[in-house]
Amino acid sequence: MLSKAADLSLPARPPGTSASPRGTPAVRLDGVVKRFGAVTALEETWLQVEQGEFLTLLGPSGCGKTTLLNLMAGFLEADAGEIFIGGDLVTATPPYEREIGIVFQNYALFPHMNVAKNVGYGLRMRGVPKREIARRVDEALALVKLSGFADRSPRQLSGGQQQRVALARALVIQPKVLLLDEPFSALDKNLRGSMQVELKEIQRRLGVTTVFVTHDQGEALSMSDRIVVMSAGRVRQVGTPDQVYRHPQDRFVAGFIGDVNRLPGRLEACAGERATVAIRDLRRDVEATALRDCAAGAEVDVFVRPDHLGVRPAGEAGSLPACVAALVYQGSHIDLYADLADGGRVLVRMPGQGALATYAPGTPVGILVPQGGLVAFPPEP
Amino acid sequence: MRPAIRRRPFLPLFVTPAVLVAAAIVAAMAAILRYSLQAYVPGSLDVGGFTLENFADLGRPIVLRALRDTVLICFETALITLVVGYPVAYALVRTRSILLKSIILVTAVTPLFLGEVVRTYAWTVVLGNTGFVNATLRQIGVIERPIQLMFTEFGVIIALVHVTLPVMVIMLAAALAHIDRDYERAAQSLGAGPVRAFLTVTLPLSMPGVVAGFTTAFAWTFSAFATPQVIGGGKVSVVSTLVYQLGLSSFNFPVAASLSLAGLVLALGTMWVVRRAARPLEALGGH
Repeated sequence: MLSKAADLSLPARPPGTSASPRGTPAVRLDGVVKRFGAVTALEETWLQVEQGEFLTLLGPSGCGKTTLLNLMAGFLEADAGEIFIGGDLVTATPPYEREIGIVFQNYALFPHMNVAKNVGYGLRMRGVPKREIARRVDEALALVKLSGFADRSPRQLSGGQQQRVALARALVIQPKVLLLDEPFSALDKNLRGSMQVELKEIQRRLGVTTVFVTHDQGEALSMSDRIVVMSAGRVRQVGTPDQVYRHPQDRFVAGFIGDVNRLPGRLEACAGERATVAIRDLRRDVEATALRDCAAGAEVDVFVRPDHLGVRPAGEAGSLPACVAALVYQGSHIDLYADLADGGRVLVRMPGQGALATYAPGTPVGILVPQGGLVAFPPEP
Repeated sequence: MRPAIRRRPFLPLFVTPAVLVAAAIVAAMAAILRYSLQAYVPGSLDVGGFTLENFADLGRPIVLRALRDTVLICFETALITLVVGYPVAYALVRTRSILLKSIILVTAVTPLFLGEVVRTYAWTVVLGNTGFVNATLRQIGVIERPIQLMFTEFGVIIALVHVTLPVMVIMLAAALAHIDRDYERAAQSLGAGPVRAFLTVTLPLSMPGVVAGFTTAFAWTFSAFATPQVIGGGKVSVVSTLVYQLGLSSFNFPVAASLSLAGLVLALGTMWVVRRAARPLEALGGH
């Protein structure tokens, strides 16, 4: 997919070059900026959501993801830039004319209407004939597996059921874009997983373009076609879950997505696409993109996933000397925390149960650093 | 239950004042009840023996008219206050500007700070034949001769709305502040313009506040005295002014007492009817 590869070269995509192989994008943001007083909540942002895509806005609270969602919904006005939905310029269009569906964090089901009235609300506002409303409400409730709940009051529903109603209400108007504002955060963990699967299934079946806001990187990785990683009002990286997970483009993304270890290293050489870094006396290859501005010999931070590290008997070649600090049993795997001889603690994620007996706390070990799967960034300024 | 939860050492401290207040009210009510059942001795402050005649006196046309007018004036005042107060409360709750919020709040609440007499005399200045309203209307040529506002029911209602407004605004604002903004946003995202979102979502959800505000305004107005006395100037007779006239001008304490009781019963009865009638409305916003 050409467009996805191209998106990796964010943050700046010049205007007018947004032709997409899949036709008109469902949503396009051209240089959108949002300020609240002196605070810039969203710095100039260029972004495109393809038709039928499940795009996630991921970042910690205050990163600008909700601002971005509210701009798409029309609840906020952009200070600069243009917003297109389905090819139409909507920058100045009020929310009620944007043809969008929103599932709010607290669902915002109208408490004075029953389930059917809630779901049919958007159709009534559009002047759809009564009989057609009844039919489409039935269909929507069947879609979210709540047939037979039409006469219930929202108060009589569980959190998961309320969420389904909110989803049915947003989908029944056949929106051009479905916006989801942290819809799972109010659900307990077990329910969350099954609702995620179900939502993804419905989304795929209907092919509705979806923009999903979350701070939960697990949700983002498991549900998205593409993830937009944001922090401090800026888009840090746009890419598939795999690209974002395995090829983070800056140290924020590397640190935010998934568990990660940071090892102190030194840049040895930078040649073309690849660079060589030294971690103590281990030489490893990393992508050079982020290190272009660093001189040879400069200190760098090397990021490595806990499941890429290995544990070996102390002193084995290709490993860093360390001492086991703690073992945490996690069911499907075991988390081993080890203190490096040079200082700093690393997390090693190991499958299997044997490790529990083998590596008691205090045992000297060698931490095996793999040849691949490493990324390095200049240290924080 | 842990014993620590059952022991509430502060309870007597909190309950004592309430008991004292309640006792005072009960004593006053008992005194009024006693007076209402005793005979009026003309020319004397003392009262005679047991009688039910005072209540029979309530059937006189002048009393019945006062009772009816009181209910009507209270009803109209509560209604007008609601209509005027709702937009103010809405603006108060929804405006983002702190400055504007403060201005609205101060303007809306100021009538509470002015003494009843001061406020009422201010209205006589505004409503009089050469007062602000008439002078302005004549200046711009809307009227040739002054409209009579002083000593009319309409004038009384205007002044009563003014003093009732703070209570209404505060009660409505409390109700509106409880309505999550996401309801309106959800309505808008589903295609409802601001007016329709308000009519179909915000207004029904604020109904409990509307009913509470209305009944409170009603009771608040029922007990008003200085306003109907001064603005009405004897031409507008309501329960409170009639009680004053009977009790402190004619020194007919027994009939004044029975009329007070009748007024109390009427106020409670009307409020009960209003609440009953509003129950379906309240259920709309039951959340």
